[in-house]
Amino acid sequence: MLYLELLIQGIIYGSMYAIIAVGLTLVYGLLRILHVAHAGLFALGGYLGLLITNATGSLLLAMPLAAAGVGLVGMVVYRLCYHPILDRPPYVALIASIGLFIAMEEIYRLVFGPYGLTYNDVPLQSQIAFLGMNLRTAELAIVFGSVILLGTLSYLAQKTRIGVAWKATVDDPQMAASFGIDPLKVRYLNFFIGSGLAAIGGIFISLLSNLVEPTMGGVPSYKALAIIVLGGLGNVTGTLIASLVLGVVEAFGTIYIGHLMDRDAIAFAFLILVLMIRPQGMLSGR
Amino acid sequence: MLKKRIFMVMVIGLAVLITYAPLMAAETIKIGFHAPLTGFAASDGKSASEGAKLAAEQINAKGGVNGKMIELVIYDDQAKPAQAIPIANKLIGQDKVAIGVSGSYSGATRSAAGVFQEAKIPYISAYAIHPDITRAGDYVFRTSFLGEVQGRGGAKLVGDTLGKKRVVMITLQNDFGKSLAAGFKSAADKFGITITNEYQYSMKDRQFGSIVAKVKSDNPEAIYASGYYFTAGPLVKQLRAAGVSVPIIGQEGYDSQKFIEIAGDAAEGVIITTSLDRDSDVPETKDFIAAFEKKAGFKADMVAASGHTAIMVAAEALKKANSTDPRAIRDAVAETDLKVSTGTIKFNKLGEVLKAVQNQIVKGGNWHRHSVIDDPELLAPPAE
Amino acid sequence: MGIYEVSLATIVLINIILALGLNMITGFCGQISLGHAAFYGIGAYCTAILAKAGFPPAVTLLCGLILAGASGVVVGLASLRVREDFLAITTMGVGFLFLGIVRQQEALGGELGISSIPSAGMSKIGFMLFVLVLAALAAAFSLFIKRSWMGFAFDAVADDEDTARVLGLDVAAYKLSAFAMGTAMAGLAGGLYTYFARFIVPDDFGFITSITVLSMVAVGGIGSVFGVMAATVVLTLMPEFFRFISDYKLLVYGALLFTVMRFAPGGLAGFLQTALRIRKARGETG
Repeated sequence: MLYLELLIQGIIYGSMYAIIAVGLTLVYGLLRILHVAHAGLFALGGYLGLLITNATGSLLLAMPLAAAGVGLVGMVVYRLCYHPILDRPPYVALIASIGLFIAMEEIYRLVFGPYGLTYNDVPLQSQIAFLGMNLRTAELAIVFGSVILLGTLSYLAQKTRIGVAWKATVDDPQMAASFGIDPLKVRYLNFFIGSGLAAIGGIFISLLSNLVEPTMGGVPSYKALAIIVLGGLGNVTGTLIASLVLGVVEAFGTIYIGHLMDRDAIAFAFLILVLMIRPQGMLSGR
Repeated sequence: MLKKRIFMVMVIGLAVLITYAPLMAAETIKIGFHAPLTGFAASDGKSASEGAKLAAEQINAKGGVNGKMIELVIYDDQAKPAQAIPIANKLIGQDKVAIGVSGSYSGATRSAAGVFQEAKIPYISAYAIHPDITRAGDYVFRTSFLGEVQGRGGAKLVGDTLGKKRVVMITLQNDFGKSLAAGFKSAADKFGITITNEYQYSMKDRQFGSIVAKVKSDNPEAIYASGYYFTAGPLVKQLRAAGVSVPIIGQEGYDSQKFIEIAGDAAEGVIITTSLDRDSDVPETKDFIAAFEKKAGFKADMVAASGHTAIMVAAEALKKANSTDPRAIRDAVAETDLKVSTGTIKFNKLGEVLKAVQNQIVKGGNWHRHSVIDDPELLAPPAE
Repeated sequence: MGIYEVSLATIVLINIILALGLNMITGFCGQISLGHAAFYGIGAYCTAILAKAGFPPAVTLLCGLILAGASGVVVGLASLRVREDFLAITTMGVGFLFLGIVRQQEALGGELGISSIPSAGMSKIGFMLFVLVLAALAAAFSLFIKRSWMGFAFDAVADDEDTARVLGLDVAAYKLSAFAMGTAMAGLAGGLYTYFARFIVPDDFGFITSITVLSMVAVGGIGSVFGVMAATVVLTLMPEFFRFISDYKLLVYGALLFTVMRFAPGGLAGFLQTALRIRKARGETG
């Protein structure tokens, strides 16, 4: 029974990781950039979602608005930050991205204050009995929301014109360009969707903790990188599997080996172990 | 015409200001203050510095110290030891402060304490809990509890006052959480407490799903959980949401209105050990709580009260010493006997204080008095 | 020089040794490391423990240097297995693992760190001069390596590993020596920090420190010894320059990091080179 509960908690962690990491792996697949500022957009999503929910009282309205808003900011970030330095060695974009992330965290602190914000009335807090456990609606919403969002996304990628173009560009940019696909449009779309998903992730997490704070992107900033590396860098399926596996490893790890190392160390010990066995990640990239 | 005249007045005013400003500045006594104003601990830095500023204003409004105004020199240390060292050197070497006060966390405070001790300038830590801070030397003092002392108080609260014996500990993995845990464990036997399990989490964690699931299956009589409001708020909320209804005991890290805001209804009934009594009849405490809310625009917390306390103690010592000699000021600090918002400050040989532990409970969305632990033997700070 | 200036100069010089170490690995040999602070920490802890046991600075610093260098070789072995971004994240993992384990070791002081470390037996100015000599040696050593045969081999490995291998270079040996030398310098810097602060806690050697050091190398111009030294001075002193706008300090830091990478991706050294080239070109045409 306890193991089942821990497993479910692991899946909840994993769903949160997945929705954040997918956007990151899309960026990597397309541009080979480690986009640390993604975590800044995740935090922005948390802020927008909370502010809109508090103002309107509707989480259902806040989610798409925040996702769209953050998606647009993501496109701006691409245009201003990454587009001009794409032909540079990868560390250039990495440091630029870290600088941007630090600046974003500070802007949140200056604008919204250091103490963090809370919901007037946290949505989705009612309890549901599920296999003899008490789960919050929010926890179920995170798992099912992630499945639905990522499922829809993969359906669209396979069935729509723009989706096919996008996939083709991720798989082979030169080939796609020779078929007349505008790579710039694909990149914009990519940043829009990836950042939008990060925003949803930020809202999900704030529902569990009822706290949106300037530093909330701190953990995702590096852990999402670990996840996409674990998943094979640029491989979406690999990223999803890695998210879930890491979520479960952490859920059990914090209980049974928490006295030996902290949660981050557990995650990275697992990462190093996997990479030493499979240097290309769990599933290899393109 | 009128415009021209206003302009003239302004120019003259400015000239006067420029001429006399250095003179006025020379009339002040400087107190150095460092706190984390940016970075992850910025919220505590803000509370501490607002509390300190309030103290300085109050002192100056009453005519300052021996006819001189006091001036706070405030620097941001981001709670980083490597930043605190140059800052301490700057306060001593460049600003020539008469006394230093830390409104920062343990790491930064311990580093700065070494610098102040070496320069033989008195230094007061407002709320850092590291046991080695005062061991830096005879110029270093602390106006708050040590982590271990408060942990022992927590054990009495759980085992004696509440009569709960089977306890699960959830420990924050930093100097604060670890020293609380050490104190709690050392006194557990005395109050017949069995610690069935202990789980650890890091400062960055906000999601506690797996710990909550395990605690539920442990089915303890009470939970002793260390943390700050930003970790404890989500933790308490998640424990209650999963149906864990046993008493949760926290400490001064919870001590903020923000904790109640985050945890919401789940905060009701949470009891903490702290040093600020909201329902106090003591005028010093009552006045501070009212004045702080008026000045800062948000409710007072333990950190704010601690910043306020440390400046009050510093100013009182400057007044009593009536001298610029650091040795005389140090001696005056050592002889402090002052009633302030967090209790009566009186230092032992090591520079630690003995204060009663104020237990506060959340009732109706506010902190209120639950009980007081006043056991000099249990709460005795180390003397060397 | 007052005590304030002396303390600033000392920390700048320590950071120079630390950054030159990373420059050896990342700048010369092209192996991105996001875990440099771990070796800084290994040197610091080793020195602290030996110093408390009563050994003189000459012994403790040397032991810190050797232990960090030896651990560097072990991590270097990982660089033989994983490459590029995978390596970046693996080294990041090493940093988290180091921190996670140190935190839980009561023998190393755990979260409370190690305090009351004996002084190096010199005055503050004396210690600063001592660090100055070591920093000068580190710089001279870096320049020597850069201009030696080994430097050319490093260049070849950094440019294209496979080609280097075809050319008959023992790529593995060069990578390992870059890691050994770079991490040994970090270990020395750590030991010096121990004597400077005389109090260390695990958080001194965290991910943020690794990022800060990498920023120094990247902003200076990866591979350029003088560029890295200049950037270290600027980035270390920046919080002091901007103390008057204390609230915006970190924001300015992040924005600067971003701006340099965005507009001068070659760092300060690259920027100067470009500027000189433009002047030269103008001189020739005009």
